[in-house]
Amino acid sequence: MHAQIVLFDGFDPLDVIGPFEVLAAGGETVGGELTVELVTAEGPRPVVSGTLGLALNATAKLDPSKPGFVIVPGASGPIEGDPDEVDTIPVLLARFGETAAVPLMRKAFDNPDIIVATVCGGSLALAMAGLLEGRNAITHHLGKDVLDATGVNVVDARVVDDGDLVTAGGVTSGLDLALHLLERTYGPRVAIAVERLFEYERRGTVWTPEGDDE
Amino acid sequence: MAIKTPIGSLQILYTFTEDGGTLVGSATGRGETVPLRDIRVAGQRTTWKQSVTKPMRLNLDFDVIVDGDRLTGYSKAGRLPRSTVTGVRR
Repeated sequence: MHAQIVLFDGFDPLDVIGPFEVLAAGGETVGGELTVELVTAEGPRPVVSGTLGLALNATAKLDPSKPGFVIVPGASGPIEGDPDEVDTIPVLLARFGETAAVPLMRKAFDNPDIIVATVCGGSLALAMAGLLEGRNAITHHLGKDVLDATGVNVVDARVVDDGDLVTAGGVTSGLDLALHLLERTYGPRVAIAVERLFEYERRGTVWTPEGDDE
Repeated sequence: MAIKTPIGSLQILYTFTEDGGTLVGSATGRGETVPLRDIRVAGQRTTWKQSVTKPMRLNLDFDVIVDGDRLTGYSKAGRLPRSTVTGVRR
């Protein structure tokens, strides 16, 4: 299994590092059965985040043929401001939709061996690109109304598991997202082992469509 | 017509035509033309819905007043606060 975390210009560092560390520790726990890497749609390159110029190095190109997880973080940047003048977070997320990431993400959705996961505004980036039509998803609480306007069914939960799409709320929920992916794929023991190591416990109930009459 | 969206202003050209007593319309923006739905005219007031995919996927509801060659009103994207729209006849 492979976990590919997709970096793009202006990404939120904690959205990336939370799942990165949890999945890396999970990979250790399952004896290297899970590899974790930072990727971009363009290939290996340093990618500058939206927070104080912090950069991370992507080491590969997003490969939608690899089974496992493809994780899309949100962006960090100004929340207030006229989007015609300031690159607000929705503007940064919409730019993701104009990159080569979109056709690759479409292939990832088409691959039955891939779970697409998002943290924070990552779901909004995919939704703005028209990839989440009619799906159940969550984003950062400040982005829920925009997510709703894109035709997504917004679900109020910290982690929303809609099958091949698992979305999480704001920033720190990326930890819960990655622990859920570990539990779903490798069982609760792996998730608990990582929780112990990181001295962090998840909160809230993971939403799933079971029992939904719609 | 100029429309404010969460990712900036859009310039959209609207076309309204009467087709056998029914009003049909379309909106042409950056790279796409989409049909208008549920067009309702009551005097000077016109409302309609449209779904765009460029530059982002967005459901929009419009409520405008036409005054001669000018148009003013609001567009609303889902639960977001409504924003002002203005337009002129071409």
